[in-house]
Amino acid sequence: MAVYNYFRFHVPQLDVAEDLTAETFLKVVRAADRFDPVRGSSKAWILTVARNVLADWRRRARLRQYVTLGTMHDLVYEAPSPEERLLREEEVGRLLDAVTTLADADRELIGLRYGSGLDTSEVAQILGISEGSVRTRLWRVLGRLRGALAHE
Amino acid sequence: MNEEELDQALRGISFRPRSTLGPEVLGRLRRGELSRGAVPPRRRHPILGALAAGLVLAGAVALTLQGTRSVEVDRCCYDLDGGGRADDGVLIHAERDARVHRLRVYEDLDRSGDYSAADLIRLDRRGEPSIQGPPGQDLVTIERCCLDFDGGGPEDDGLLVIGVPPDRVVMAAIYEAPHRTLR
Repeated sequence: MAVYNYFRFHVPQLDVAEDLTAETFLKVVRAADRFDPVRGSSKAWILTVARNVLADWRRRARLRQYVTLGTMHDLVYEAPSPEERLLREEEVGRLLDAVTTLADADRELIGLRYGSGLDTSEVAQILGISEGSVRTRLWRVLGRLRGALAHE
Repeated sequence: MNEEELDQALRGISFRPRSTLGPEVLGRLRRGELSRGAVPPRRRHPILGALAAGLVLAGAVALTLQGTRSVEVDRCCYDLDGGGRADDGVLIHAERDARVHRLRVYEDLDRSGDYSAADLIRLDRRGEPSIQGPPGQDLVTIERCCLDFDGGGPEDDGLLVIGVPPDRVVMAAIYEAPHRTLR
């Protein structure tokens, strides 16, 4: 779930997110010998592999805008009615649209923290910065995201 | 929305991959994609093995429980275009209880009680639900629940149609009543 959610924060098409998730697990199994538990958790290592898979994909494909309707079958949301489900999908689509307007580094931070659900120490480990820096940068990124949403 | 509210909103977003993804990865491994990489596997780490096995097992169980046989479901007759007469039907090609391949809303012109070549197609959709043509104003939402629209067996599916009366249909989708996910 963490890997798939990480990709869904970056990639609008769910079939692409599925492909990238599969590719990540294939690479993880192939490179299992390289995992060193002393250097960090297995979750953080798998997300590092996922980052590389995403970077490869970005080199091959141009990022497209979210089309909210019908592209979020995989959104976890127990809606009381289909209309409310549709509204929720639009709300999430608008938020993720705004994320795609951010700089690469900002998007990466959002994807790791909220997509993968990693805590700040794990994000810090992956990015090679301190936990304090993660928190500070995250707060600034949220400010920029707020600005992006306001300008829509 | 301030930063704290944005933080909460982003935390609340979660996606769930389709249940068949795990078996698909297993299939790719079995087909030998494992050996494609530069480093051949000498031994697998137990944590990673457990992770991969978990992913595969969850998918396989869900696949077994769900089944994926294609079905065609024809339901008639309701007022789906807002015209005021219960003379419309819906023809659905789907994987049983799962993905919709094709969905057609038709007007049962020949009063046969199901779809036939003489009927008028109001909407023909493949793949994901989407708005067809300019949505315009005075959109009306029509909902029919609960019937078996996807061949799954239980009458637990709903049909959602958005149109402009009396004869335009711009979007149609079905959903499983407990989850409300349009498909």
